[in-house]
Amino acid sequence: MLWGKTARYAIAFFLIISLNFAIPRAMPGDTLTNLMGEDVHLSEDAMLELKAKVGVDQPIHIQFLNYWRDLFHLDLGYSYHLHAPVSSLIRERIKWTMLLVAPSIIMGAFVGTLLGALAGWRRKEAKSRLQTTGFLLIYCTPPYFLSMLALYFLGFELGWFPLKGFYQSGTIGDIAHHLFLPVLIMTLFSASRNYMIMRGSVIQERQMLYASYARAKGLSSDQILFRHIFKNAALPIITLVALDFGFIFSGALFIEIVFSMHGMGNLIYDSLLCRDYPVLQGTFAVITIMVILANLLADWTYGLVDPRVRWQR
Amino acid sequence: MKIARHIIASAFVFMVLIAAAAQGADSGSGDGVLKIGTPNMVKSASILGDSSLGVFAHLSNPPLMKMTPDGAVVGQTAKSYEVSEDGRTWKFVIDDSLYWSDGTPLTPEDVKFTFEYLAENVPSAGWIKNTVRDISVDDGSVVFTLNQPYSRLNLEFATYNVLPKHIWEEIDDPVEYINDGESIGCGPFVIEKIDLPSGVIEFQKNPYWKGEQPQVDAIEVHMYDNMDVLSLALEKGDVDAYYKYAGTYPYANVQKLEDNGNFDFVEKDNVGLIFLGMNLKKEPMSDLKFREALSYGINYDEILNLDALGYGEVANRGFVPPSMVYFQETDALRYDPDQAREILDEAGYKDLNGDGLRENLSGKDMKLLLLTRNDYQRASELMKEYLSDLGIDSEIKTVDSSTWIATKDQYGYDLTVTRTTPWGMMMHANWGTGYFDSRRTGEGVLHVLDDPAFLELCDDILASTSESELEGYAEDLQDYYAANLPGIALYWNKVLTPYNREWKGWVSDPLYGIYNQDNFLNVTRSGA
Repeated sequence: MLWGKTARYAIAFFLIISLNFAIPRAMPGDTLTNLMGEDVHLSEDAMLELKAKVGVDQPIHIQFLNYWRDLFHLDLGYSYHLHAPVSSLIRERIKWTMLLVAPSIIMGAFVGTLLGALAGWRRKEAKSRLQTTGFLLIYCTPPYFLSMLALYFLGFELGWFPLKGFYQSGTIGDIAHHLFLPVLIMTLFSASRNYMIMRGSVIQERQMLYASYARAKGLSSDQILFRHIFKNAALPIITLVALDFGFIFSGALFIEIVFSMHGMGNLIYDSLLCRDYPVLQGTFAVITIMVILANLLADWTYGLVDPRVRWQR
Repeated sequence: MKIARHIIASAFVFMVLIAAAAQGADSGSGDGVLKIGTPNMVKSASILGDSSLGVFAHLSNPPLMKMTPDGAVVGQTAKSYEVSEDGRTWKFVIDDSLYWSDGTPLTPEDVKFTFEYLAENVPSAGWIKNTVRDISVDDGSVVFTLNQPYSRLNLEFATYNVLPKHIWEEIDDPVEYINDGESIGCGPFVIEKIDLPSGVIEFQKNPYWKGEQPQVDAIEVHMYDNMDVLSLALEKGDVDAYYKYAGTYPYANVQKLEDNGNFDFVEKDNVGLIFLGMNLKKEPMSDLKFREALSYGINYDEILNLDALGYGEVANRGFVPPSMVYFQETDALRYDPDQAREILDEAGYKDLNGDGLRENLSGKDMKLLLLTRNDYQRASELMKEYLSDLGIDSEIKTVDSSTWIATKDQYGYDLTVTRTTPWGMMMHANWGTGYFDSRRTGEGVLHVLDDPAFLELCDDILASTSESELEGYAEDLQDYYAANLPGIALYWNKVLTPYNREWKGWVSDPLYGIYNQDNFLNVTRSGA
C-alpha cells in the first residue's frame, strides 16, 4: 500500500517536472525574446553569442537532459533576466511571501472553519444568515477589486495603511503596518471559502444519526458540535489548507500587483511574460515538491482525524 | 455569534492599533526629498542589465551627451564636441570639473574605458565594436575614430551611462553585476540604495559635485506595479511627480488630478507615436494601393478622441511627428471612406461573391489578421470597425508581449497596432527608420521594408557629414513615408507628466522626459 502510494507520487513528480520543462518552451517566443528592451538593436552575431551564453542554442533534448542533471545537483539554474541564480531569487522572495501568505492561510482556516461551523449549526438564525451573506459576498468578489477597494478606503481615504511595498523603514512595526492590509484581504478570502465549505459540511453532518444520538444522550448543543460534528465536517478543510500551503510558493499575484510587492507571485508572473525559462522551471519545481508534500501531509492528517481512513490503510 | 463578534472586534482593534503605532513610528523623508513615482519597475539591481535602472542611473552616471528641451544634442559629461569634415573622427572634450562620489576626478580615461568596456561586455553596445576603430585620449578629450561616417554618434552617446574605471575594471561580467547599495557616480546625485522589497531607489547628493548646486537634498524613485495605486499615491502626497520612460500619464486619470487642485502638468509633444504597422512582405499589405485605401479608411479624429482622449493631433502621411528635428510638413492623413472604397474597387479588391466582404486580387476570401497587445486593444477594435466599413474582413488576435515579438518576427500577421518610443524614433538612421529597415532586428521593430530606395536613404543619413545634408535627407525620408505609407501614424499625442504644485521649475526633454539632470538641479519646493 505504502509502496504503491510512493510510486504514484514518484511518477507524478517525474511527469510534472518534465512538464515544467516543456510548457514554457511551448509558448511562443523564447527566453531571449524580451531580454534586451523594446528599442534595442542586436546584431546577428551578438544574438548568437547571447543564445550560447543562455544555453538555448543546444538541441532541445540536450537542454532537457541538462535540466534534469542540474536538478539532481539541486541547481535551479541562472536567470539572465534578473541577473541572479534562481535559488537565491526564490530565497529572497519566499521570505516575504511567507510573511504575506502564511498568516492569511492560518487565520483564514481558523476564522472560516470556526464561523462556518457555527453558521452551519445555527443556520436558521438571522445573524447566521447575515454572516453567510457577508462571506458569500467576499467569496464572489474578484480579489483585485476587493484589494483596490480596501486600499482606497483604508489606505487612501483614511490614510491608515501604506499603499505599497513590504516596508519603508524596515522595523518590525513598519513591516506589520505594510503587511496588515494585504494579509487582511487574503485572510478574508481564505476565510470566506473555508466558511462556505465548513457551513455546508456541518449542515450535512448534523443530519446524521450519530448527531441525533448525541442529542438523545443529553449532550449540549456546543458539545455535539465541537466534540462530534466538527471533526467529521472539517475533513475537506484539511485538504484545502494543505493545498493552500503547497501553493504558498506561488504567492498571491493580485495582492502583490495591487500592493507593489516583490514576492513569488510577481516573480512567476514576470517570468511568464518574458519567458524566463530557468525561473519558471525553478519555481514550478519548488511548487511541485510543496504540493506533493502537502498532499502527503493531508493524507497523514486525514488518518489522524478519521479512524475509518486509518483502518482502510 | 459571540465568537464572530469577538473575532471582528479584535481584528478592528488590532488594525487601529497597528495603524496608529506604525504611523507614529514612520520616519518620513523630510521636506527636501523629491519623490518620483513610476510604473517602470526595476527587477534587478544591475545598472547595465536592467533597462529601467539604466534610465534611472542617468542621474548618477550621466551620459556623455544629453538632449535639451528643444531637442538639440549637447554635451553633458562632455563639455563640447566636434566632428571632422569626413565624419569619421569625433572629439569629445570632457568636463574637468566632474568628480566621482569617492573624490576621484572623472578623466577622459574613464570615458575611454566606458565605451571599450561596454563594447566588449554589453550585447546591446556591440555595434561600437563594428563602428569605432579606435578610442584614444588627447589632452582632456576622448577621440573616436570610426570605420565609416556615422552621423548619429552624438545621439547614441546620450544613452550610455559613463562608468568609473577604477570600480568597474575589477568586474568581469558587468551585465550580471548586482549592487543594491551605494554606487559611485559623477552626477549631482548618486545611488545610495536600491531597495526592491520596498520599491524605492534612493539618491543622495554627490559630495564632490562642483557644478550648480541642486535645490533638493535627496531624490527617491518609488516604483508602483499598479497604475491606479500610483495615481492614488500622487493624490495622497506619497510621491511628488510622475515619470514613465517613453510614456504619458494615463489620460483617463488626468481629470481626477485636475480636480484635486494640487497638480500641474508638464505637457510635451511626444516624439514616439502609436501607429498601424503593416506586414509589407505579404499581400495585400505589400500593395501600395491597398495601403493608400486603408489610410483613407481610418477615422483619425475618432481614434484620437477615443484612444488618446483628444490629447494630441491627427498625424500627417509623413509619419514623423513635429516634435522631431527637421520635421517636414506633408499632407495630413484624411478620413474619406468613399475614396477608400473607390481605390479598393479600382485596385481589384472587390466583393465578387456578394457576401459583403471584399476578396483579394485572386478572387479568394480575404481575412486580415490584426495582431495586437492589451495596451492597444481599443485602437485595434476601432481599426477592425474601420476595415469592416470598407468591406474588409479582419480578426483581432490579442497576445502578450513575447508572443507579439515572436509572431511579428515570423511575419505571421497582416496588421498590427504598436508604438514607437522616443529613442526608437531616433535610433538607426533616425526619424523612425529603425522600425522599418528590413536589415534590423529588435523587440519593438517590424523590419518589413526592403525597398532599395529606402535602404539607400537610411545609409545616406548614417553616412552624412553635415547638418544641411542631413536636413535634406530627413525631408526626402518623410516624403518617402508620405508616398509609400510603410506605417500609418494613428495620431501624434502629447506626453503629460503631473507634478505637485509644491514643486516648481520642471523641464522635460524629448528623450527622457522629466528624468534629466537639468530638471533635478532646478526643481525647487515652492516658497523655499
